[in-house]
Amino acid sequence: MTTLEKLNGIFRTVFDNEELNIGPETTANDVDGWDSISHVNLILAVEMGFKTRFSPDEIMAFRNVGDLVAALEERKAG
Amino acid sequence: MNATPEIIQGGQYNIGHICTRMQCDRGLGDKVAMRWLGAHGERADYTFGDLERQSSRFANVVGDLGVAPGEVFFIFLPKMPEVFFAFLGGLKARAITGTLFANFGEEALLDRLGDAGCKAILTRQSYLKKFQRIRDKLPTLKHILLVDAEKDLAPDVLSYPRLMAAASERFETALTPPETPSVLHYTSGSTGKPKGALHHHRSVLHQSRTAAEVLDLKPDDRYWCTADQGWVTGTSYGIIGPWSLGVTQLHFGGAYDAEKWFRLLQDERVSVWYTAPTALRMLMREDPALFGRFDLSGVRHIFSVGEPLNPEVISWGRKVLGHDIYDTWWQTETGGILITNRPGLEIRPGSMGRPLPWIEAAIVADDGTVLPDGEHGNLCLKPGWDSMFISYFHHEDVYRQKFRHGWYLTGDTAYRDADGYYWFQGRSDDVINTSGHLVSPFEVESALLEVAGIAEAGVIGASDDLLWEKVVAFVALRPGAAWGPELELKARIHVSNRVSTVATPQEFRVLENIPKTKSGKIMRRVLKARYTGGSVGDVSTLDFQDGANKEQP
Repeated sequence: MTTLEKLNGIFRTVFDNEELNIGPETTANDVDGWDSISHVNLILAVEMGFKTRFSPDEIMAFRNVGDLVAALEERKAG
Repeated sequence: MNATPEIIQGGQYNIGHICTRMQCDRGLGDKVAMRWLGAHGERADYTFGDLERQSSRFANVVGDLGVAPGEVFFIFLPKMPEVFFAFLGGLKARAITGTLFANFGEEALLDRLGDAGCKAILTRQSYLKKFQRIRDKLPTLKHILLVDAEKDLAPDVLSYPRLMAAASERFETALTPPETPSVLHYTSGSTGKPKGALHHHRSVLHQSRTAAEVLDLKPDDRYWCTADQGWVTGTSYGIIGPWSLGVTQLHFGGAYDAEKWFRLLQDERVSVWYTAPTALRMLMREDPALFGRFDLSGVRHIFSVGEPLNPEVISWGRKVLGHDIYDTWWQTETGGILITNRPGLEIRPGSMGRPLPWIEAAIVADDGTVLPDGEHGNLCLKPGWDSMFISYFHHEDVYRQKFRHGWYLTGDTAYRDADGYYWFQGRSDDVINTSGHLVSPFEVESALLEVAGIAEAGVIGASDDLLWEKVVAFVALRPGAAWGPELELKARIHVSNRVSTVATPQEFRVLENIPKTKSGKIMRRVLKARYTGGSVGDVSTLDFQDGANKEQP
C-alpha cells in the first residue's frame, strides 16, 4: 500500500466519506468538512496511523495532501 | 416601531423582492450585486438583474415542487452563488427559508430538519450520504435538490440545474404582509434539542436600517461579510441588509487564509469589512510583516461579531490595520444588531457598546427589578424591534419562557456603566460560545454517549485565548474501557461528524463518574469549578456516588 493509499483510508475515516479519493493536489477546499478543527482530527489520525509526530511548524506548512505525503515519505526514508 | 422607510413600496415587505426586483426598479439592474470569488480563484460578477432572474427561477421551482407559503425549505451548502439565489427565491415564494452550516453532521441535520418539518432541501451530491442515513426519520421531506446533478437521481432526488433551466425567470412576488414568516435559523440551548428562531419579513426594516446606520453602508461601498450563510450573520448582514440598500457585496468561497484575505481586501478595494473575533485573533498571530505588504487604504470601517472582542484586538487593529474595530452585539433571536460600538461613538475597548437609539436595554435581576449602573445581572431588551424573532418554531412554550416581567431575556449577563455602555460578563446558561458559534453541551454529550467505551459525559465551555471558549468534555468510561489517544480520536471524529466540527471537544478529562443531581441532571457548574479550580458552591443536591468527581490519571 502506498503512502497516499494509506492516507486516503485515514481521510475516509476522519471525514466519514467512503467515496473520498484524495490526490497530491487536494486541499481543504476540496474536501467537505475539512476545517481548522477537523484538521486537528486529521493530523492526530495521521500521526497515529503512521506512528509519527509532526512539529507545529510542519503542520502549518502543509498546503495540500502532496506536502503531507512528502513529509511522511521523508520520515520513511530517514 | 419605525416609520415605514423607503424600502417598503406599496406595502410589499417581501425580503426576496426587496433585495432583487426592487433594486432593479430603482435602476440598479446592471449594478454588480455580488462579486463571487471561489476557493480556486474562480471569479464571477452577478448584477441585481441576475439576482432577480435567478431568484425568480428558484421561486418558480419552489412553487412547482409544491412547497406552499409557510412550509419549510432549507439550504445545506457551503458558500456558493446558488445559496444566495435559493435563499432569495425561497423567500419570494414565501416559504419559510432556513440555512444550515455545511459542516453539520447527520444528527444535527436530523434534529433541525425533523423539528422544522422540512419539505424540501437544496444540497449537493457529496452530502447525500448524510441524508440517506436519516431519510426514513424525515417523513415530511419530499424533495432533495442537488446543485451538481445534471439529471434527477431518483423521483425525490432532483437536479437543480434541470429544474432551474426549465423554470421561468419571471416571478411576481405576492404582496407579503410584514408579519409573514420568513427566515428560520436553529440555535442551541443548554437543554434539549436546538430550537428554530423564526423571523418575519418585517425584519428587513431593522436589518436595512442597521446596515445603513451602524455598518454605515453607502451606495458605492464594496462590502465583505466573512460569515457563512449557515449562521444568522450570513443572512442578516451577508444577504438582506446590504442588498436591501443596493450595495455591492464580495463573497469568498475559500477558508481562512491570511494572505488571501488581505489580498482580497486590497485588490477588491473592500471599504466595509464585517468579520469575527476569532478570525481577527488568528490574524494577530500571523507574521506582522504580512500586513505591511498590502495596501488597505480602501478600507473605511471594520466590524466584528460573534463573541466579545478583547481590548487587545482593538489595540492591534489600530496599530497594524490603522482602524478601529467596532464590536457589534446581537443574537440569532434578535435578527440584527442591537447594542454596538459604531462610527461616531467613542469606543470603550472590551465593551459591547451602547444600545441603538430605538432599542431599550436594561440589566435586570431575576425578580424583574431593573438594576442600577455597575451591578451585574441579566441583559434584557424591551420587545418590539422589527427583527425580533416571532417564535421558536413548534416550541411556543419555550419562546414564552424567554419573556419575563415585560423583558426579553437574552441569556447573557452584563452590567452597564455610568455612560450607558454595556459590558458582557457571561452566559446565564450552559451554552458554549466557541469562535462565535453557540454549541449546546447537551448535543455534544449525546454524541459522546454513542462512542463505544464512554458511559457518561458532561460538557462545559472553558476560556480560550483564540476561540473565546473551547469545548471541554468530561467523560466516565464503561468497565473495561481504557482512555488513550485512540479513544480520544474516535470521540473527536464522532462528534465532528455527528454534530459539527465546531462542537468537537478540544480537551477531554476522565472521571470515575460525572457529577449529577439526585434527579440525574448533569452538574456542569461542578465540572466548571473542577476545571478552573474554583469553588463548587452548594452541592447539597448532588449525588456524590462512588467517588464522582474523582479524576482519572
